[in-house]
Amino acid sequence: MSRRYDSRTTIFSPEGRLYQVEYALESISHAGTVVGILAPGPSATPFVSAPEVSDAMAVDSEGAAASSSTPAAGSSTPAQSAAAKKKEEEAKAEREKKYPGPQRAGIVLAAEKKVTSKLLEKEKGSSEKLFLVNGNVISGVAGYNADANSLVSYARNAAQSHLSTYNEDMPVEQLVQKVCDLKQGYTQFGGLRPFGVSFLFAGHDPHHAFQLYASDPSGNYSGWKATCIGANNSTAQSLLRQDYRDDIGLDESLGLALKVLSKTMDSTTLDSEKLELSTLTIDEAGRPVAHIFKPAEIDALLEKEGLKKAPEETSA
Amino acid sequence: MSIMELNGGSCVAMVGKGCVAIACDLRLGNQALTIACNHEKVFAATERTYYGLPGLASDTITVRDKLRQRVNLYAMKEERTIEPETFAHLVSSTLYERRFGPYFIEPVIAGINVKDEPFIAAMDLIGCLNFAKDFVVSGTASEKLFGMAESLWEPDLEAEDLFETISQTLLNAVDRDAYSGWGAVVWVIEKDKVTKRWLKARMD
Amino acid sequence: MEVSFGITGKDFVLFASDTSAARSIVRMKSNEDKQKVIGKHLVMAYSGEPGDTVQFAEYVERNLRLYQIRNHLPLRPSSAASWTRNQLATSLRSRKPYSVNLLLGGFDPTNTTPELYWIDYLGTLGVVPYAAHGYGAYFALSTMDRWHKPDMNLEEGLDLLRKCVDELEKRFIVNLGEFTVRVADKDGVRQVNLKSGEAVVPV
Repeated sequence: MSRRYDSRTTIFSPEGRLYQVEYALESISHAGTVVGILAPGPSATPFVSAPEVSDAMAVDSEGAAASSSTPAAGSSTPAQSAAAKKKEEEAKAEREKKYPGPQRAGIVLAAEKKVTSKLLEKEKGSSEKLFLVNGNVISGVAGYNADANSLVSYARNAAQSHLSTYNEDMPVEQLVQKVCDLKQGYTQFGGLRPFGVSFLFAGHDPHHAFQLYASDPSGNYSGWKATCIGANNSTAQSLLRQDYRDDIGLDESLGLALKVLSKTMDSTTLDSEKLELSTLTIDEAGRPVAHIFKPAEIDALLEKEGLKKAPEETSA
Repeated sequence: MSIMELNGGSCVAMVGKGCVAIACDLRLGNQALTIACNHEKVFAATERTYYGLPGLASDTITVRDKLRQRVNLYAMKEERTIEPETFAHLVSSTLYERRFGPYFIEPVIAGINVKDEPFIAAMDLIGCLNFAKDFVVSGTASEKLFGMAESLWEPDLEAEDLFETISQTLLNAVDRDAYSGWGAVVWVIEKDKVTKRWLKARMD
Repeated sequence: MEVSFGITGKDFVLFASDTSAARSIVRMKSNEDKQKVIGKHLVMAYSGEPGDTVQFAEYVERNLRLYQIRNHLPLRPSSAASWTRNQLATSLRSRKPYSVNLLLGGFDPTNTTPELYWIDYLGTLGVVPYAAHGYGAYFALSTMDRWHKPDMNLEEGLDLLRKCVDELEKRFIVNLGEFTVRVADKDGVRQVNLKSGEAVVPV
């Protein structure tokens, strides 16, 4: 019955659904997984002008301080039995041994590459999943690569245009909104099919510090502490829900991201051929530093986390 | 009175041995009235390529913003930094886009390429490139700069000597020009470091 | 015949604009406010072609407000100045450019510094410790050169402003009457009386 409402994005079905958008979402669930984890770090204090803002021009009564995208520091501590507390302390000590402080703040984006072949030029070829969009934003894509390239190009141009006009880096949420507005347009008018891409945007700006956004082909987006798009994302999401803590540090997040990917990927051991990895941090001057890992760096990290593939046992 | 002389300002760039230097004055004026003494006209395109934009101050900022946008996009798409010579062509085509309503600036460019060779170039306001081997000058004091540079410059100057040469060239040339001066800045670009120095100039 | 001044101090920016609206030999009004408050800590003093001035000033004010409503974030002074300059630079090569000169400035709460921008109708932007537009610039800038210090407090700033205004009264052929004076600092923007230095409560 739904055959009648499939072919046009511009038609609702009798149940009130847009099938083309849903089919786009379906196609993404076959794409390579991308995991994003936000590590707010010990001193997550985003820019906020005076708390009692009574701006002459403010329309929201809370003025410029309204923000929901920074996670609260510190984890909740419900009443725990002594045994559970001891277990938690042991886990904490183990973590501190493995990831010695001071904890860094930042965002990790890790992705599984679907196109792998010994014939691919590893160093020279451009990334498949992770792209630098601006000095302060990295994006991870899941879905049709051609659609993704087009949207990344659009996002890059939008960010540069903002820089040109306002002489400041485009705030991350505004960039995400611009891309999402474009995607939404393709679900409502023009009669063209939607983009078959979901994004994870990891960014930093002086207003809200580190932020992680996920957006899908419908043009919807939301802010996350940790999330996942692409194949097996429900498995990954539940793993993240278990293991994510509000006070997690960047190094631990890297380990967690790799662990999640190893569970969701087809093979149980990872190597740099199948992975792309990046981090977004800030330097001492407060400027964002986007770092997309080279294959050698990924291998070194896998070694450190104990997730590296055992050498030369595999057959073709 | 020409529109190129409304705000005043001059730039010069020179080639040395394995290094380049680029310098500008700091005056921003409105004809005879001086508005600011901190108006730099030299900007970084990449870590090893710098360019100066003397001329109409409004267009200086507009073109700088445009070039920054294009260099950033180049860096993200090509995943490498732009070479000085490629950058010179980028500036030239950006200016020629406005052939029949041009930006009123005459850029000079100085940089070190990936093979550690020094590079300088200049162009007119519609992008006609000049790849000089010794020095390039631009701005309201350009004639004076030509004279000074021609007499002071010699080939294969080391970084320190190049700094002295370009400083004297600029300072003495702008002292004879009413529309330039009020301070000066010199950048010396070598293959592994960049040094920025402010010069003690006549503040008149 | 219009005059505007801007002076930065340790933690404030002062703006002074004349208040006469005149055409040829007639002064039509002597309490015209030639400044706009465009943000919590941001002021813009405008001068230039009559009509263009108010149109452009309101255009800037409303667009900055719209940005804030849309994005839940105010624009910092440097970004607001860049955007405004961009509008003038675009207008310059249009069919009829805006002929408006501005002094834009205020207090940036993110890095607690006062900032002042001199912007002219061509889209020239200069970041300055003190500035003036109009004929008044020829009289007052030298006074400011002599007496301005970067770490002045508000009282000293007002004193300097009085010196500039006195210089005009003495040597400028046109009698400009009263000046509107506003202060932008970490507490926001308020209008002050130049003679007494006390805040003026708006009617």
